[in-house]
Amino acid sequence: MRWLCACVLLAAPGTIAAQGYRLRLDSRFQSVAFRGLQLDSILASATVPGPNGGPETPDGYAVNCEAGDAYCTYFRAGRRRVGAPLVTTADATAWGFGLRGLSAHATARLGVDLSSDKVWPGVEPAAQLVAGYLEFAAERVTARAGRQILASRLGTTGFDGGAVTWRLPRQKVDLSGYAGWGLARGVALPVTSPALNPLDDFQPVKRQIVAGLEGGWSPTLGDVRVFYQREVDPRSDYFVSERIAFSGAVRPRVGWSVAGGAEYDMAAGWWGSADLSVAYATRVVAATVEARRYRPHFDLWTIWGAFSPVPYRSLRGNVSARPWRRVALHARGEVYRFDPAEASTPLVSYETDGWRAELGATVEPAHGWTIDAGYHREFGPGSASVGTGASVTYAPTPKAHLTLYGSSLDRPLEFRFSESVLKTFGLDGMAEINDRLKLSLGAIHYSEDRQRPDAAAFDWDQWRITAGFVVLFARGGELENLPPAIRRMPGGRNAR
Amino acid sequence: MIVALMVLSLVQTPAGFDHPKHAKLFPSCTSCHAGAEPGAATISLWPDPSSCASCHDGTIQKQVSWTPPAAPRRSNLRFDHQAHARGKGGATTTKPVSCASCHTEAGAPRMAVHPPVAGRCLDCHGIRTVHLAAPDSACVTCHLSLARAVTLTRSDVAGFPAPASHDDPRWPTREGHGAVARSTLGTNCATCHAREFCYQCHAGGSPPGAITVLASDPRSTALVAHRVPTSHGANFADRHGAVAAASTMRCASCHVRNDCLECHRMTAANAPGYHPTGFLARHPAAAYARETSCSDCHSERSFCAACHEQSGLVATRNLRTSYHDARQSFSAGHGGAARQSLESCVSCHTESDCLPCHSAQGGRRFNPHGPGFDAERMRRKNFEMCTVCHGAAVP
Repeated sequence: MRWLCACVLLAAPGTIAAQGYRLRLDSRFQSVAFRGLQLDSILASATVPGPNGGPETPDGYAVNCEAGDAYCTYFRAGRRRVGAPLVTTADATAWGFGLRGLSAHATARLGVDLSSDKVWPGVEPAAQLVAGYLEFAAERVTARAGRQILASRLGTTGFDGGAVTWRLPRQKVDLSGYAGWGLARGVALPVTSPALNPLDDFQPVKRQIVAGLEGGWSPTLGDVRVFYQREVDPRSDYFVSERIAFSGAVRPRVGWSVAGGAEYDMAAGWWGSADLSVAYATRVVAATVEARRYRPHFDLWTIWGAFSPVPYRSLRGNVSARPWRRVALHARGEVYRFDPAEASTPLVSYETDGWRAELGATVEPAHGWTIDAGYHREFGPGSASVGTGASVTYAPTPKAHLTLYGSSLDRPLEFRFSESVLKTFGLDGMAEINDRLKLSLGAIHYSEDRQRPDAAAFDWDQWRITAGFVVLFARGGELENLPPAIRRMPGGRNAR
Repeated sequence: MIVALMVLSLVQTPAGFDHPKHAKLFPSCTSCHAGAEPGAATISLWPDPSSCASCHDGTIQKQVSWTPPAAPRRSNLRFDHQAHARGKGGATTTKPVSCASCHTEAGAPRMAVHPPVAGRCLDCHGIRTVHLAAPDSACVTCHLSLARAVTLTRSDVAGFPAPASHDDPRWPTREGHGAVARSTLGTNCATCHAREFCYQCHAGGSPPGAITVLASDPRSTALVAHRVPTSHGANFADRHGAVAAASTMRCASCHVRNDCLECHRMTAANAPGYHPTGFLARHPAAAYARETSCSDCHSERSFCAACHEQSGLVATRNLRTSYHDARQSFSAGHGGAARQSLESCVSCHTESDCLPCHSAQGGRRFNPHGPGFDAERMRRKNFEMCTVCHGAAVP
């Protein structure tokens, strides 16, 4: 076998080296500050009555004292900590291995915190392979092998394995199947990774096996898709999840569409999220009305699914209009209500419904100038917010812009005395030096006023500085002629 | 000294033939520029250097060294001197056009010449606007298409000025440049553009017909078509769903599938613009009642909890209500709020925080199962999960 491999390598050196490649590095540096909370305690006998009658520490922090406990607990201001994360994402694609349609793709992320405090989250491990696979793409079939991420009605699914898509262009049907060792949801790490250590004792010892099927039919008037996916713990052969979903869209007339879909959790035995929307768009107006239902999904290696998360149902809509040539207006809103939680909590009241609304306008007073302004307000369980924001952008050329912005935000919480008023202003700039190099620089000032009736109302004013660059390395004769939409994203042409 | 030299270099006039100084020597323009005369044997507009030497021989006048340029001037003009001199230049008049008509100002001395400006062309051809405000259909009057203007370099193309029509906010849309291209089948666009220019954006679906009639010319990508339609204003990432759903093909005119996947998949590092500016500060309200499915892109454990811990929002197994201090006895009455926003709870709490009270094997044995809980199905699908609280004695 080793001799065979050696012979292949010696016989076909020209086909091993790629004829073309793209490597895009997107690097960003930030200087940020944290000032969080620090859990502390005090002897109950050392507390003093506060102005409202409740117990406080002598230096003014409201404390919580459980009946019968010798100690009371409270959160004091944590020390100010500084982070300096440098995060680089590399997208690489190579092709021309001697087989038409064969290409290699990789997306990797390198994150380090250059500060001594090491406060920035998500930098362990420092290097993460987000995707890395070989792809063979032909007119009727696409096959991939390696680490890949699939986006579907069931969310994103990451796994190390293989996927095949078979297309029947005349019938407008496509079928896909995939299988492999799964990654944790929302992160390019397996569930066994130490970086997911908060899972504590319940962390799986083996990666789950994920497999799924997807089929779609795309006639002229719309499309229909069906999805099935299961994840199995190979150690116990029990399910981690098993779900099925469908989605569809109909476009009866130009500008009109009706779309919808739903998920069913076969492991939990309940319907998950679902939605049905009607959209209309012309060159002057675009509007959507949507009824939806949201229920979170939890894998069965956690116990959270057994806690019966209840869904909420909502009705939302948005409309954008361009009443004048240089003016665009938009508005959106949503009202929602949770299903009954069926939990008896006479001591604690809580919100069971909420709403969100936003208004905004974009004006182009002169060539290269854009002014945006908006107002949003939302109220619901857990938290609320109301804020305004505005920005002025000057883009003398398509390759450079400068944006000055500011905002004000009032952010009360439902279960904690923490109504903070946050004001920000900042400046962002971008310059595309040439087709292969783009630079960006930004600075924002946070000015926060925490409105609490005790000493925990500390401020958190700070500057945040951001700098970044995007650089493209490439080889391939047609690079200059590639559309920017494709140049931005390695693999774009193959995905068409 | 250096500054002085730089200033001098700026104020010096470029070297060239002093026409007024020679005014009395030459009775007509075509005596030197023979190629401009109708029916001339030559098409060269440059004088023969030997004719200069007849005076500038070092005796009568000092010698001069001048040779006409070997290559034709880089230009995309379709101007024909002889045709204009015959009155067949396509202008509103069919009278022969004299050299002075274009090369001197009205009332100026005969030899006070200068290179013609576009305004003179427009005047004769009946186009009553300034050059770049001329209708798009007027370009071909004077200009070759880019593909035929073979002498232009890529940098020449990059320096093309944009007509005023291109400043219209609606220009990037189907109703802007699309309408012009369709109505003229791209023939006027071809003055500055070729197929490759259009493909910079029209990469997603079948290219519009007006593009396919254009010639192919890689130099056209020297002009960059990065301008974003004005519909893509503030928070468009949040609002684009309706447009995308109702007019998918409109999006596909410029975008490919991977443009969508930049945000609609978990490589969030590729999508720094997905959330509006300042979203970090206002994310609690959006996250508590899940305005969207956060966990499709963010891991509650490695993303949310890791950051919350750095901010001190860390739970302990011996739960206290110190943090949730707006509700007295929150730990005793959190059930309803937790079932509504369980994903938010998980962004700070681990299972170990809940088990002391909710385990069936010890503690207070509060039953966490609520509406929709199918014990038999859960037991069948993953018996191990049941054992976390129930041990081996799962009911």
